[in-house]
Amino acid sequence: MSQPVRRAAAPLRRGPIRAGQNFAGGVFLLLLAALALYLARDLPQGTLRSMGPAMLPDWLAYGVGACGLAMVVMSLLRDGEDLEKSALRGPVVVLIAILAFAVTIRPFSMGPLSLPGLGMLVSGPLAIIIGGYATEDVRLRPLLILALSLTPFCMVLFGDLLNLPIPIFPQSFANLFPAGWSQKDVLRATALVLTVAALALYLTGRRRPATRIDVVVDEDES
Amino acid sequence: MGDLISNLNLGFSIALSFQNLGLAFLGCLVGTLVGVLPGVGPIATIAMLLPITFGLEPVGALIMLAGIYYGAQYGGSTTAILVNIPGEATSVVTTLDGHQMARQGRAGVALGIAAIGSFFAGTVATVVIAALGAPLTKLALIFGPAEYFSLMVMGLVFAVVLARGSILKAIAMIILGVLLSTVGTDLETGQERLTFGLPFLADGIDFAVLAMGIFGVAEILRNLDHTETRDVVHQAIGRLLPNREDFRQSYMPVLRGTTIGAILGILPGNGAVLGPFASYTVEKKLAKDPSRFGRGAIEGVAGPEAANNAGAQTSFIPLLTLGIPPNAVMALMVGAMTIHGIVPGPQVMTRNPDLFWGMIASMWIGNLMLLIINLPLVGLWVRLLKVPYHLMFPAILMFCCIGIYSINSLPTDVMFIGLFGIVGYILIKFGFEPAPLLLGFVLGKLLEENLRRALILSRGSLETFIERPISAVLLAIAAILLILALLPSIRKGRDEVFVE
Repeated sequence: MSQPVRRAAAPLRRGPIRAGQNFAGGVFLLLLAALALYLARDLPQGTLRSMGPAMLPDWLAYGVGACGLAMVVMSLLRDGEDLEKSALRGPVVVLIAILAFAVTIRPFSMGPLSLPGLGMLVSGPLAIIIGGYATEDVRLRPLLILALSLTPFCMVLFGDLLNLPIPIFPQSFANLFPAGWSQKDVLRATALVLTVAALALYLTGRRRPATRIDVVVDEDES
Repeated sequence: MGDLISNLNLGFSIALSFQNLGLAFLGCLVGTLVGVLPGVGPIATIAMLLPITFGLEPVGALIMLAGIYYGAQYGGSTTAILVNIPGEATSVVTTLDGHQMARQGRAGVALGIAAIGSFFAGTVATVVIAALGAPLTKLALIFGPAEYFSLMVMGLVFAVVLARGSILKAIAMIILGVLLSTVGTDLETGQERLTFGLPFLADGIDFAVLAMGIFGVAEILRNLDHTETRDVVHQAIGRLLPNREDFRQSYMPVLRGTTIGAILGILPGNGAVLGPFASYTVEKKLAKDPSRFGRGAIEGVAGPEAANNAGAQTSFIPLLTLGIPPNAVMALMVGAMTIHGIVPGPQVMTRNPDLFWGMIASMWIGNLMLLIINLPLVGLWVRLLKVPYHLMFPAILMFCCIGIYSINSLPTDVMFIGLFGIVGYILIKFGFEPAPLLLGFVLGKLLEENLRRALILSRGSLETFIERPISAVLLAIAAILLILALLPSIRKGRDEVFVE
């Protein structure tokens, strides 16, 4: 999928910009260069003999800016590809899903807002289900099954087998279990429950005929 | 020669231990499993799986990572053949004839010859690494900061020349990458640079975060834009083992591909990318009937796949001997080594001979594992390839989040993969290739460090880079390459190579 199909640029053009993609790219580079120069404005340049912290960033920013300028100029002189139209839905929803994971995985506070750390038990399914809405052909049920089966898999893999220090569930959740249970017992029991739930959801949903299949399934595979 | 054998002996005694054998197997298996997923290249695969190796001791961790790398590479070829989707630049060529073979019901043979060709190439490359390791390490000892700086400049110029598309855009990406690497505390003066005053940027941008954002998340966003048309082969996979006729047609391409790939892979600046293209072009030129290419010629799979694997492996050479990662995958290896307290470079071989030779021996074992794992498991890969993307990407997304969180236990890292994902997506939309950016970022810190050191030694005189002979030669090569690439006639030829 790393090769999007490039079609010839549409002949319809307005204004002096003859290569929309290069123009936008050039402006983007100019903005980045300006940002870098602005951020490094107070740092000393130093001399070649003892370079200051800002010397290299400044040079590089000028380099990026020069490339950007060249691209803008070229986009006015030569024909090139136009910008592809793109939907906002994908990037926005994926970003929300990632942020949801980041703020729920462990205690988070920002200004007046503060969230308790909910661990992978909550943040994993959140990322999957919110993320799933990034595409238009979203169906909740398969996403739920996916979330309910991948979360216990990751809990057992990362928390139990690999012992990585990643929060799995909040302490208040562990307190619901009998006092004698260790963290690992709680983890395994929870994983088991989730897996069973996923399986139940999968089996009850099977009777309905599949509504849409978007990949061709061949029957004679052996 | 005696040294070589005793060194390899040491290596195999380590790599063949029960635990390391198991880790190599597991690495290859998991690597292939993730690498097979369309739209997940080796870089994203390794970044995602990096945390699983944290709990291991260094030798085992690196052996497993190397296994993951080969697995991901081979997984990419499998996807290229079965679905016509290249996982990354190096398997683009495999789609041309490999997928045609699959459509003719010869997918099994294509996969088989790819695995066998890769195994042969891997075997040769392992010996090349073992033989070149020691002499190149000695070479590294006469390198001063000026030479290192010039070598890296040459590497970056290579990357510009080898990048697809506009040269100007590739240069911009490289400079931007180096600029990103200067974010964080300045090592010599202790002042914070370009951090927006944010404390978590004081240590700079983490490489794994940037790589995961640009190659994991941005790739998801790019794929979401294109409606899914997946061309999974309908035909039966067919027999897996190539017959006598297939072997007769492909042994020379494999030999040539191995040579081409191994040589190009050593070049700094991701020379390995060029291997499959070069091999394909050579085979097409040498063929009696070039029109067969693009219609399922087995030579068009065997040669490039061998070149691909040979290059993938010899690209370890600059890392292990000079400490310079030649591409993004090797940069992730640097990250992994640093986590285990190993500084890559010429001293690894003398200080950690177990690790150095154990890893080299495990490369060969890894290649053997691939052969063993892949041939029987083809059916499983086919099934995985049929998972629709709208179910696959949420899973990839969650794995990315969990993976990146467990590296540093920082929620800000998770947020940053989102940010870099968006930036990477914008760059892709504007027609930039993200790979050179990552390489610039990887080499940026080393580049600045050596530039500063060289200038301190020369008391601020830039002439030091031309006065020192090795440095002058390296810079001259870089300059000539850049000029050649900009010449219109050669530029046309370069475009043709990538278009094919």
